Amino acid sequence: MILKLAINGLKKKQRDYLILFTGLIISIAVFYMFLTMSLNKEFILQNSVINNIQVVFLVGTVMLSIITFFYLFYTNSFLLSLRKKEYGLYELIGAKKVQIRRVFQIETMVITAISLAIGLILGIILSRVVSWLLMNQLNIEFTQFKVVYLPAVFWTMVYFLVASFITSTVHNTLLAKSSIIDLLHSDMHNDGIPSEPKGSALQILLGIFFLGIGYTALYFMEQLRFIGLFTAPIATTLGTYVLFVALLPIIVRKWKRNKRVNFKGINSFTSGQLNFRLSSLKWVLATIALLIALSAGAIAGGFAFKNDAFTSIDEHWQYDATLYNPGAAEMAVLDSIPVEEQLTFRMKLNDEFIYLVREELNATPPLIRDMVTYEVVRPDPLPEELEIEDGSQIVSDQWFTALYAINPALEGTRSTRIVPLEEYELAEGEEISILLARTADFSAHIEEWQKLDELQLDVYPGLVTGFDPKTDSVATKYAQFKTQYAIASGTFFMGFFLGLAFLTMMASILMFKILSGANNDIRRYDSLRKLGVRRRVLENSLAREIFIVFLFPGILGLLHVFVGMRMFTFIMDEPYYRLWVSILIFLAIYGGYYFFTVHLYRKIVLPKH
Amino acid sequence: MKTILKAKNVTKTYGKKGSAAYTAIRDLSFSMKEGEFIGIMGPSGSGKTTLLNMVATLDPLTNGEITIDGIVVSSKTENQLADFRSQKLGFIFQDFNLLENMTVFENVALPLSLQNKAVKTIQSRVHQVAGVLGIRDIIEKYPEELSGGQKQRTAIVRALIHEPALLLADEPTGALDSKNAAILLDTLAELNRNQQVSVLMVTHDPRSASYCSRLLFINDGQLDRELFQTGTREEFHQEILAVLGDLERRPVAGVRI
Repeated sequence: MILKLAINGLKKKQRDYLILFTGLIISIAVFYMFLTMSLNKEFILQNSVINNIQVVFLVGTVMLSIITFFYLFYTNSFLLSLRKKEYGLYELIGAKKVQIRRVFQIETMVITAISLAIGLILGIILSRVVSWLLMNQLNIEFTQFKVVYLPAVFWTMVYFLVASFITSTVHNTLLAKSSIIDLLHSDMHNDGIPSEPKGSALQILLGIFFLGIGYTALYFMEQLRFIGLFTAPIATTLGTYVLFVALLPIIVRKWKRNKRVNFKGINSFTSGQLNFRLSSLKWVLATIALLIALSAGAIAGGFAFKNDAFTSIDEHWQYDATLYNPGAAEMAVLDSIPVEEQLTFRMKLNDEFIYLVREELNATPPLIRDMVTYEVVRPDPLPEELEIEDGSQIVSDQWFTALYAINPALEGTRSTRIVPLEEYELAEGEEISILLARTADFSAHIEEWQKLDELQLDVYPGLVTGFDPKTDSVATKYAQFKTQYAIASGTFFMGFFLGLAFLTMMASILMFKILSGANNDIRRYDSLRKLGVRRRVLENSLAREIFIVFLFPGILGLLHVFVGMRMFTFIMDEPYYRLWVSILIFLAIYGGYYFFTVHLYRKIVLPKH
Repeated sequence: MKTILKAKNVTKTYGKKGSAAYTAIRDLSFSMKEGEFIGIMGPSGSGKTTLLNMVATLDPLTNGEITIDGIVVSSKTENQLADFRSQKLGFIFQDFNLLENMTVFENVALPLSLQNKAVKTIQSRVHQVAGVLGIRDIIEKYPEELSGGQKQRTAIVRALIHEPALLLADEPTGALDSKNAAILLDTLAELNRNQQVSVLMVTHDPRSASYCSRLLFINDGQLDRELFQTGTREEFHQEILAVLGDLERRPVAGVRI
């Protein structure tokens, strides 16, 4: 009987539950995707590049599970609060608390189960898409990767069922403790009158002070290191809360004080609504500002990290390809791309020495990054005489770097001798030619570099004794880029989906919060209609009100991101790379939720006549 | 004297034409002169609130015509009606319908802000009318902090602040105790007498009705009879009770076809 009633109750609150579903399904899907990426065993063993990505996804899973738990806890409490009256009614007609609790518990679990079913299917599709994208990006085959991976399915189910069991048990226990009268009157609740702000100037200063500290720590993360790592999140969080709690009521109050504006049309109503709403939502809004910072930061961080794979590779490698004894095939590839600079050196190789020609080196000194000034330069000409100490020739630091740039595969394997041309001609050893090629944009010709690397695999066994192309590799710009790029791509996807999941959950919390006030507003909007306010004017007032509620956390959250991205300077060169893309993604999702909220709100408070 | 309200052959049918249709008001006509205080009475379901809603331009007519202050309201668009309400009509509701998130001042000033009056004009006008109804001391409070009587007086100020052509009241004493109800009706009657405010009030309470200058009894969506106050209020009260008793004894009452 009660089960039947509860199902009816559920149907009535369909809309609210639908929002819960969306947030839940997306987090399940992302959770599953992260798990498959990080748990696929055969896949890990097979590829060392992938190994690095998996750690990234594992970190993502942990972060997501923490946030998801809070999300579940919050939404569950909200949905139960919507049904307090129903709960009271069942008690009134004589149902035992145990019975009601059981029904509500079953209900929560069923909802979770349904979301799991849909979420897992979506998750499988998502894993397929993401692994495919990763494969394309990294130019590798994921032969052992299983999109439907049972351990991941199992752990996703366990996590979500346990989490929803815990949250619903806690809330049901709380609900059972309230009296019938309280439960029955729960929908008559009015927001309290916003209290006169006291000492808010001090609070605002304090908030700005904390934010200042947090921002400073973020900005100087490179210098502060560990102190910064701890100070930044604590001070920023504290500052955000203090500032929101003190500032929001003041802003509306200031606005209301401007009588010319306030007493125009229904502005006084809009600001009155905001006054009540902002003071009851200030804690939630501050939390949302922080979550926005996290989610937009995660997306932006992913982008920046991926870009970093390109920029940092250019830092260390001035030449895009270093080819030993290039044959016709290599030359054909090189001819197909616009090479800006091409240098050729000869060397003679025997068991003891590598011989290089001084005249050749001085005629075309290669570009290097000076280790002291960090600028890209060409080394000064080599002197006529080079001293030999302990069996090795002494060259300048710049030439030392240059020799590695010229001969990355062999430099260091034996003693290098830079000799005049006549001496070189006389030296014993196998002659090898080395070609250095540089283009304007390494990232534009990834495929060609890959091809050249593959072609060179045939050359290496002749140069390096015991070289096995299956297991060994030679340091080339492309090889290093490949590893770096794999991790970066993993981080990019993780950041993107983590951000997406955060953003969805966060926005649906905000939406819940706003919509839960809608029922109180039905009468207000009806009164205004009767008093002769045009529908259009009411719609605008409503859109404006919700806009401002969305605006404040949005602004502060983005500000956090702008400042916060700076902290990544100590691991990457351009943390602000394409920040606008992440911001656009954020705005699209956040804006979408805004319009959806306005739409639903309109449907509740302004029914068509 | 000028006719402020004229209802001509007003009919209101709910639902689709056919078996499910239900006629709430049937071919009803009446008119109201400026400065009259008219009460509409009738049993539950007689259609009195439907009638008031149509006069209030909240509910469209099925047939007929309503003219208020020389304007035929039954042929206007929704937006025109909204503007019309904000300029020509004042409302007092049973549960006051004050907006809880606005101060008394803001509530009261709303009809003037809607007409985009200057702040100075709004302030002086609110001050003046609030003085008449004795709510000046509570002007910065929120409705939640007021007593029932104070709320209702605030509602009256809001209804009168823009000098509407017609004041409409739907069971205005419904949520008040007898003392506050008496104060409210005295206030309404006084405003009607001294400032020539035209009032149309729906009530089922004979005592409230006795404050009116004329009563319309509605039954089954039709005008059943009219009653004018001629003597004292107490005599009128007795007369109303007698009419109500008479209406109740009629066997067909409440049966609709």
